[in-house]
Amino acid sequence: MSEPGASRNGVGPSVGELVERFELEKAWLVDPISGREGPGEIVVVDGILESVNWLEGAEADGVTDKGVVVAPGFFDLHAHFREPGFEDAETVASGSSAAAHGGYTSVALMPNTQPALDEPGALERIRLASRASGSPVEILAFGAVSANRAGETLSAMGELADAGVLGYSDDGAPVRTGKLMRSALLYAGMLGLPIVEHAEDLEFTSGAEAHEGYVASIMGLAGWPSAAEVNAVSRDLAVLADAIKDEPRARLHITHVSTAEALDLVRRAKAAGLPVTCDVTPHHLALTDEWIAGARRWAWDALNQDGTSRDPWADSALTAGPYNTSLRVNPPLSTPVDAAACLAALLDGTASAVVTDHAPHTVVDKEVEFGKAANGISGIETALGVLLELVDAGKLPLVRAIAALTTGPASVVAGWPARTATAAARARGLVEGASADLVVFDRTDRWKVTEESLRSKGKNSPLLGRELPGRVLLTIAAGRLAYQDAEADDAE
Amino acid sequence: MTTATTPAATWRHRHLIDVDVLTWPEFELIMRVSEEMKGILARPIRKVPALNGRRVTTLFYEASTRTRVSFEAAARNLSADVVSVSTATSSVTKGESLVDTVRTLEALGAEILVMRHAVSGAPYLAAEIFSGHVLNGGDGWHAHPTQALLDLYTMREKLGHDLRGKKVAIVGDILHSRVARSNIWSLTAAGADLWLCGPATLLRGMDRWAVAWSGGAIPGHGRFNVTSDVNAAVKDADVVMGLRIQRERMQGGLLPSLREYAARFGLTAERVALTKPGAIVMHPGPMNEGVEIAPDVAVSGRSVILDQVANGVAVRMALLYLLAGGHEATHVETVR
Repeated sequence: MSEPGASRNGVGPSVGELVERFELEKAWLVDPISGREGPGEIVVVDGILESVNWLEGAEADGVTDKGVVVAPGFFDLHAHFREPGFEDAETVASGSSAAAHGGYTSVALMPNTQPALDEPGALERIRLASRASGSPVEILAFGAVSANRAGETLSAMGELADAGVLGYSDDGAPVRTGKLMRSALLYAGMLGLPIVEHAEDLEFTSGAEAHEGYVASIMGLAGWPSAAEVNAVSRDLAVLADAIKDEPRARLHITHVSTAEALDLVRRAKAAGLPVTCDVTPHHLALTDEWIAGARRWAWDALNQDGTSRDPWADSALTAGPYNTSLRVNPPLSTPVDAAACLAALLDGTASAVVTDHAPHTVVDKEVEFGKAANGISGIETALGVLLELVDAGKLPLVRAIAALTTGPASVVAGWPARTATAAARARGLVEGASADLVVFDRTDRWKVTEESLRSKGKNSPLLGRELPGRVLLTIAAGRLAYQDAEADDAE
Repeated sequence: MTTATTPAATWRHRHLIDVDVLTWPEFELIMRVSEEMKGILARPIRKVPALNGRRVTTLFYEASTRTRVSFEAAARNLSADVVSVSTATSSVTKGESLVDTVRTLEALGAEILVMRHAVSGAPYLAAEIFSGHVLNGGDGWHAHPTQALLDLYTMREKLGHDLRGKKVAIVGDILHSRVARSNIWSLTAAGADLWLCGPATLLRGMDRWAVAWSGGAIPGHGRFNVTSDVNAAVKDADVVMGLRIQRERMQGGLLPSLREYAARFGLTAERVALTKPGAIVMHPGPMNEGVEIAPDVAVSGRSVILDQVANGVAVRMALLYLLAGGHEATHVETVR
């Protein structure tokens, strides 16, 4: 009898090759479509998930959710691979490699490249780069809302739709004006596609360095008020309510929502029937502004019983140096109360997905004064580990964590009329007979986040030096090998 | 100096970027050494060989007259070699990063780096890569430790060493003030009854800080008050300190006019009359006379503004001495 989680007939040696045969016995299977999790076995033959066998009774003995876990491959609705224009920070190839290391098999890229992805040729270029990389990770993309992301005129929306963009976003910045947002929602709605909004009122955030509050006050950092996000979300919802009267197919997705107040607005808008969805990031779920002062405890460990934020100075919780620029991100890390609101939104369905907002940067852009540092966290490789910390803390069931990375984002795309039936919106579950698209990870095997262990060119992770649970052992995308842990390979 | 080795042996900080890291005994140590330095400044020849041959570099990314001159005078009084770098004349204007500049200065022999920067937290970045000692001469809105220490020294000199219960009112642009932030740490450590006062637009965020500390939760630090009522702030105060109001604050929509500020918050003779008999008036400079402080108040018998300037040299001598000597003391112990 083999050990739980033992695999036989290891997969092919190199990335991109078809997985001819892979069997996993006695693992913990998580299927977010059915909501089922439990002991089971899988067999992949010629890139097809040939069998998913749930074990019961004596066969299931010794198999727990604390060991090897099999889940559908993850889908990131929001990442930056920086190509073209900023290839020293990331490329489609390095980003795809990082994604596979993080358990992702599909990634949607934001269009804030140089030049911006505002016409179909730019999309073709990214597809060529993906093909050339040899990675089987599926690369999707959003087109820009405005030409050159300048916030003035609409991009080549129709041509971009024909070329296959998922939707439109001026991410990195909000859609400049409410008037342009109205046009964008109407025109994109006509095409059956959404506007994905980075909600930020720039009037409030010019020169801002950190979430306005206790920590920023002590640290002398220019405050970024919650009102910056709340005001933007409020504007967008008002415009959406107006736009759907003219174009019922208009869709709004608000990305990386970070404040309790803005999440409440989305919650109420959804309840009122507006076609709006939103997502949250791992860093806004788990990290808070006190990290900028040097705290390194998870957001849920920084809360009082009554739900208020604890004081890191009073707790003597400042264990690292202050002003670490890897914590500079847009929207800024907020309070433990806001982080708890992000989790509550995920649990009650206000937020449909967890997205990484993977934002790699070079040392040149990050090894500078805090207020001069580029915004962004390199996070596509640490998302699973951070969510598993939430699971381990008893805050999030495992199957919900996996759903937030798989069926959640797929359901968002399925709500966009022109993309409902596309591969991006496909059911992400453990489906027998479908092309194998899955991740195998060891729930309790901790791995250390280091510059060397990150495949991304962007080493701008505030989790460097920390150990995270859930070492990814194997990622199979579209039946092909995307990532295999070297040590796991040796162990066979 | 007679006690040249004693204080240094108990100094444990490699850098001094803010006073938030200091324990009360460490504040007192700095005060004692400053006292000795003040004795040196009273001599006909104000120079001792304590830092003979040691290399102090001042790197100022922001315009400053008094702080820079004060640091350089302090270093020269201790016989240190002083190199001054100002960003107007250095490679910084060619786009050199802070990290490259600091590495270059280290390669050129800098041992103690005195730094002023417009971005909060910048000296922590310098300290991460610099193998010597970083002494913060003011960073953004965050900290100005030598100012807070010279303020503390001046208050103790004028009011007695025990500041517990002494009412200190700081009036002005608290939001943008590194002086106010460092003084919050030092004066709450000293046990003073601290009041921060200014228009609501220039107090943003401070109330949350005051509320968080109101329960006495922070080890070693007491509570403080925040108010826009200037009469309440200065009433029966032992110390009133004005902070500079910059013209840019009006362009930012934070103040209607300097005239209105002067009328509502300026330290006038009438307001100063509300303080305790014997109260002192302070200002970190440079002053806008007629705005945050009336000209007659600035030169009145209560004003200790020039004492602050003179004490600044003594306090900076003390810190340079402690940083340089403390390092040596640790090193010697390690070798033995």
